[in-house]
Amino acid sequence: MSGAAMIRLEQLCKTYRLGDEEVHALDRFDLGIDAGDYLSVMGPSGSGKSTLLNMLGLLDTPDSGRYWLEEQEMSALGEEQRAALRNRRIGFVFQAYHLIDRLSTRENIELPLVLNGTPPSERRPLVDALLERLGLEHHARHLPHQLSGGQRQRVAIARAVIRRPALLLADEPTGNLDSHSSGEVIALLEELNAEGITLLVVTHDPAVGGRARRRLWMQDGALIREQAGSAAPAASGERDARR
Amino acid sequence: MRVDDLIRFNLNLLLRQWFRTLMILLATAVGVTSVLLLTGLGEGARRFVLDEFALLGQDTLIMLPGRKETTGGLPPLTGEGTRDITLDDVAALARLRSLQMVAPLILGNAQVHVSGRNREILTLGTNARFFQLRELNMQQGRPLPEAPLEQAGSVCVIGPEVRETLFGSNRALGEWIRVGDRRFRVIGIVEDRGESLGMDVGNQVILPVASAQQIFNTQGMFRVLLKVRPGSSMEHAREQVLELMQQRHGGERDVTLITQDALLGAFNDILQLLTLAVGAIAAISLVVAGILIMNITLISVSQRTAEIGLLKALGASAAQVRLLFLSEALMLSALGALIGIAAGYALLWIGHGIWPRFPVSVPLWALIGALAIALGVATLFAWLPAGRAARLAPAAALKGEVRDA
Amino acid sequence: MLSRDYLRLTLGTLRSGRMRSVLTITGIAIGIAAVMMLTTLGEGLRIYVLENFSQFGSRIVAVTPGKAQTGGMGGILAGTRPLSLADAQSLRTLPYAIHVVPIVQGAGAIERGRRVRHTDILGTGPDAAAAWQFNVVLGRYLPAGGGYSQPYAVLGHKVRNELFGTDNPLGRFIRVGGERYRVIGVMAEKGQMLGFDLDDIVYIPVDRALSLFNRAGLMEVDVTYQPATTAQAMADRIRSRLIARHGGEDFTLITQDAMLAGLDRILGILTLTIGGLGGISLLVGAIGILTILVTTVRERRGEIGLLRALGASSRQVLLLFLCEAVLLALAGGVAGLLLSALFLGLLALAIPALPIQISPLFLLLALGLSALVGLLAGVLPARQAARLDPVQALQSE
Repeated sequence: MSGAAMIRLEQLCKTYRLGDEEVHALDRFDLGIDAGDYLSVMGPSGSGKSTLLNMLGLLDTPDSGRYWLEEQEMSALGEEQRAALRNRRIGFVFQAYHLIDRLSTRENIELPLVLNGTPPSERRPLVDALLERLGLEHHARHLPHQLSGGQRQRVAIARAVIRRPALLLADEPTGNLDSHSSGEVIALLEELNAEGITLLVVTHDPAVGGRARRRLWMQDGALIREQAGSAAPAASGERDARR
Repeated sequence: MRVDDLIRFNLNLLLRQWFRTLMILLATAVGVTSVLLLTGLGEGARRFVLDEFALLGQDTLIMLPGRKETTGGLPPLTGEGTRDITLDDVAALARLRSLQMVAPLILGNAQVHVSGRNREILTLGTNARFFQLRELNMQQGRPLPEAPLEQAGSVCVIGPEVRETLFGSNRALGEWIRVGDRRFRVIGIVEDRGESLGMDVGNQVILPVASAQQIFNTQGMFRVLLKVRPGSSMEHAREQVLELMQQRHGGERDVTLITQDALLGAFNDILQLLTLAVGAIAAISLVVAGILIMNITLISVSQRTAEIGLLKALGASAAQVRLLFLSEALMLSALGALIGIAAGYALLWIGHGIWPRFPVSVPLWALIGALAIALGVATLFAWLPAGRAARLAPAAALKGEVRDA
Repeated sequence: MLSRDYLRLTLGTLRSGRMRSVLTITGIAIGIAAVMMLTTLGEGLRIYVLENFSQFGSRIVAVTPGKAQTGGMGGILAGTRPLSLADAQSLRTLPYAIHVVPIVQGAGAIERGRRVRHTDILGTGPDAAAAWQFNVVLGRYLPAGGGYSQPYAVLGHKVRNELFGTDNPLGRFIRVGGERYRVIGVMAEKGQMLGFDLDDIVYIPVDRALSLFNRAGLMEVDVTYQPATTAQAMADRIRSRLIARHGGEDFTLITQDAMLAGLDRILGILTLTIGGLGGISLLVGAIGILTILVTTVRERRGEIGLLRALGASSRQVLLLFLCEAVLLALAGGVAGLLLSALFLGLLALAIPALPIQISPLFLLLALGLSALVGLLAGVLPARQAARLDPVQALQSE
């Protein structure tokens, strides 16, 4: 859906104190993202990519600057309202999966719905659908330590999208995975993007980053290069890599 | 978040950490059980004492010779007054309209002989009314007969223990015994009520009052029991009695009237205070349990920092995170309290089975108090750690760092 | 608020062993403080009661008519063979006997002019003041009489105030139970003992009391004796003398020792019981130590594995954790003692009359108790730590 930008970042600044030094994690950062975009953000460690992700995901607040998400300015919001947005409009996928290891696959996936107060009867069909789509039906009762890395990340993705968010943020989603599982996960993310979810992937792996339609490079908190255009379209052969 | 989801979430966590859960449940349960047990015993003691004293009934007065000025002090123990309460006084009292019945008492230790056996036994001189007043039943035979007070009859009633002591397993009814230097025929054996406080008729010999006067060579009554007529007020009866005695004793008010209220009042207050104090001491342990809950909650928060970050990322508000940790502590405390309540009542019930006469009962204020303290303490002590968790910055928490949002 | 900031600061270091230890110590401290304060208060009460009780002097034997059945009521009931004045006189001649006090007690009206007061009347002999260690503050006590005593009376402090105010009562006349008596002395203020007002009383010669109350015999005879003999021996002497006179043992002897010992025992048990109640808090505190230590051991698996890899033996690990437990508990014990000292100090300031005695024995016992608690609570987690397989422990990090 083109038209008005879904996301607009204007002069975002964020500074951390590390001992005696000041680190400019974000330095007057500007960015616009349309609905349905597929971006990757690359750069050396310390470049501010994760900070950018945290800003976008409302996990952190900038020192200055403005962030518009779907026509709403974020700095005006209180923590409770930000939390509500995180629940409804944003989905996260982390490098370390961050599944709760005492909960089963089903319970992990339905967590956003539980937090929201959705009754069990409504949750069940939604979770079942995702379990089936992602090939996790046989693992519904398993605990995370009984799953492989790839499976865990799929559970995390399911959890991220169960509320059909507008924005999906992935921080090094393939960082802990072997190449086969990596491929599966990326394919899955691109599938979801094709269905309309705006996707932003932070990665240090150029192979992964190169697949995005828009490719951003950061250094020292600033955008130093941007590339757009079809670099690696989702090949049909890779789409069936769900197992 | 729905309540049942919340409970299930916490339950899952508590079951995983079964050792910690068990210990906190134990700590809370010990505290609650102690409070219930101790207050139950204290309350039981109070009831026991009240019951014992209440054997005389709400409408009974006790008169003693002699009077002390200082009210609020103990009533004169001795029963020695400068002026005796005579049998004529007793007869006059019996005629008062506000009294239903009157029983004089003379009490002393007398040598009792029965065919070779010789014991010193507590001996009571009284009248037939005594048995009605004290609602005593006869095991065998009959009570003292209705007779004029001055009649020094030669009959007696004995208690079962006396019967055992003097006659063994032989027949006692109809037998003659020697009390002091007079002979009496046993016409009845009174039932043992088993009271320990107050006067236990089980080990007494009961004679007509005039006979006792002779044996002990004394004129004055030791006590006089007076029962107020139903329909008449206690106050009115008191006044009538005191006026009568004053009149008969040359204008002197030299007797003391004890009502059950006065006696019970003092005991009641003391025992209630005792029960409260004992309960409070036990409740201190609940505070210690609360400290344990605080400690565990702090540890829990620190161990689950990444989880807290995750939950916040998924959209849990600060209030929800606080609620999670608070509810965890509350659930633990509530469960522990319930176990403690169950254990406390179970123990009391067993105790009651072993000593049926002891009326153990947990006062309601203790039950509610223990529960309230357990829950209140848990909330109080988990509040700060839970607040800490709520304020964590999500981004940092995910990385395992501790920083305020 | 300062304390809140402090708390926030310490809470800030969530990985702090410090906060954890402080809380654990606090738990034990409360438990020890409870035990300490309760036993101290109980002990104070016990000493208070004993002191009050033994104000009558300690080398004293009481004789009452009749065999004791209804406890102390023996002398109040009519007995078949009374204790006579002659009996009391005879006891005077026993070796080692110092004072012999015959007693008849009752209540009656004391009048002075128009003022009337109903109070206790005690008929005693001239030895009473000396035997019971009462002091005469005005005039003198009752004199030794021949057969028929003079109608003299000695007033208790309160009766003097009530009937005479500030006037000098000596030589004045009062009526006791209708009879005329002359005041020859006033007793010093004694205060209350266990609810009994010792100043609200009038003393008259015992033989006059016998006729006043129309009694054949005495209610009690108190005998004080010299230190050179024992309570038992004295009691035996009195017993034999009275058996000779009465032809049988139809009386009861109570030595002060026995009374005190009985009371002492009861109060001692009471103190222990109440202290034991405080022990409930200590028990919960011990559960606290156990819980925290077990949790700590689980968290420090990696550290333990490392220690073992560096050469620490299983036993050394055990001792290490055991030591930690005992130190935590001891710190709690000290904190608890300080807490109870503070509290008792405040209490002593607020209620000076309260008998508070901090006995060093209790202090040591409290410390010992806390060490024991630490030891017992620490055994399980320490063994757990010692049994950890080093390889697995290291891998778990």
